[in-house]
Amino acid sequence: MIDQNLTPPPLPPLPSRSAPAGAPLGSDPAEQVPITGLLTAVEALLRQPRRVMFQLRQPPVRTVLLALLVIAIACSLIYGLVVGTFSGGTQLWAAPVKIAGGLLLAALICLPSLFIFACLSGAEVRLSEVAGFLSGQLALMAVLLIGFAPVAWVFSQSTESVAAMGALHLAFGLIAAYFGLRFLNTAFAHLNARSGSGLKVWMVIFILVLLQMTTALRPIVGTSDDFLPAKKMFFVNHWAECLKK
Amino acid sequence: METTFAPFDLRQVPVLLRGELEPIHGWIERWSVGRVCFHVAVICVGAGLFGASVGWWRAPLQAFYTGVKLPLIILLTTLGNALLNGMLAPLLGLNLRFRQVSLAILMSFAIAAVILGAFSPLMLFLEWNAPPMSAGASERLAAHSLILVTQALVIAFAGVAANLRLLQLLRRASDSTAAATKVLFAWLAGNLFLGSQLAWILRPFIGSPALPLQFLRPDALQGNFYEIFLSALKRVLFG
Repeated sequence: MIDQNLTPPPLPPLPSRSAPAGAPLGSDPAEQVPITGLLTAVEALLRQPRRVMFQLRQPPVRTVLLALLVIAIACSLIYGLVVGTFSGGTQLWAAPVKIAGGLLLAALICLPSLFIFACLSGAEVRLSEVAGFLSGQLALMAVLLIGFAPVAWVFSQSTESVAAMGALHLAFGLIAAYFGLRFLNTAFAHLNARSGSGLKVWMVIFILVLLQMTTALRPIVGTSDDFLPAKKMFFVNHWAECLKK
Repeated sequence: METTFAPFDLRQVPVLLRGELEPIHGWIERWSVGRVCFHVAVICVGAGLFGASVGWWRAPLQAFYTGVKLPLIILLTTLGNALLNGMLAPLLGLNLRFRQVSLAILMSFAIAAVILGAFSPLMLFLEWNAPPMSAGASERLAAHSLILVTQALVIAFAGVAANLRLLQLLRRASDSTAAATKVLFAWLAGNLFLGSQLAWILRPFIGSPALPLQFLRPDALQGNFYEIFLSALKRVLFG
């Protein structure tokens, strides 16, 4: 029964995460390896976030930033498709468009305030770098949503309750946002900011914008004759109405 | 150490149960399709036997159905959450690759399945002593409840034992106990969340005496576990 040939060769060593949290970005040689493709970017986001942060501080930022944006858009479109399977029909294309569009729109709306808060807190950062960190946050959120997609699909096939599915997607979105914001927080810790309170305020604003986006772009989970709602509502009122139904 | 066992060597089972970290860690580091198949086979046999013993009280056909469904839930949960679990591990500080994560989870389920399989004769003995399906309605209901509670206790015991072994393995693979604990709880939450729903879809397992014998209920895909649980809780609390 002893057969050493049946065992494949060992996997190469895992990328190092050994750089201490407070060490300057790029202090680990592994962080200085350029990010060349989309898959490398996804793997770096999950396993070597400091590598992504370091690359985003090296000019030109454009290549990594674009890769992160492509990941964010592609992954949110796929997750949107899973969301759309709940209602089917036009929602199969409307939900992906709304989720990817809503995520990008929320980021675009919040980008100026993030830059201002960063500068006010004394961080040494350029707008392109802030945009890069924000796209990293979006990409990580969208990648995590892909991880939730199989679970969301199972539930979407076994319930007809819009409120239940909405709550589920909201919970997944908030978990993804937590990890995305954690990435941003770590990135900002390396910008020599005097205080982190500005960033904390911005995080609250970003979450509020995301939540409002779920109402401004409704319906994302249910169905409607119109692509966008005619009636303006605050997200709390919209959710209360959904729960009453 | 790990090379002393071929992928289908049954002597791996006691090693898994004892939680011998050296060989198990080696198995996780070296991906082997044969070993994955072995763990899947262990899950199918162990959970299948337990499922069959649970369903036996209702009817032999129910035993067959439950014997198929219980391993299916475990495998579908592993598959459905593989991507998420693989992402959560590095994000929470555990530097394991996607394949290693999947293998670690599969191994913990294999441990649970072996424990479940070992309890199947006890389950059969309990059912042999319980009032049969031909008994009166109240006696049948009492037997159904007894099987339900016993099944839940056995599954809980197997789950706890398997997760303790998994935690030991994660601690070994990580520099930080806190990270290992966080990852374990994140995986547990995800697996319980999806597993409960899959179990709901694939019901019945024991087979209610008042309902016909079926592989799936006609309303299998209507409602979800949590909606039903919440409405039941509402009824209990507010009448």
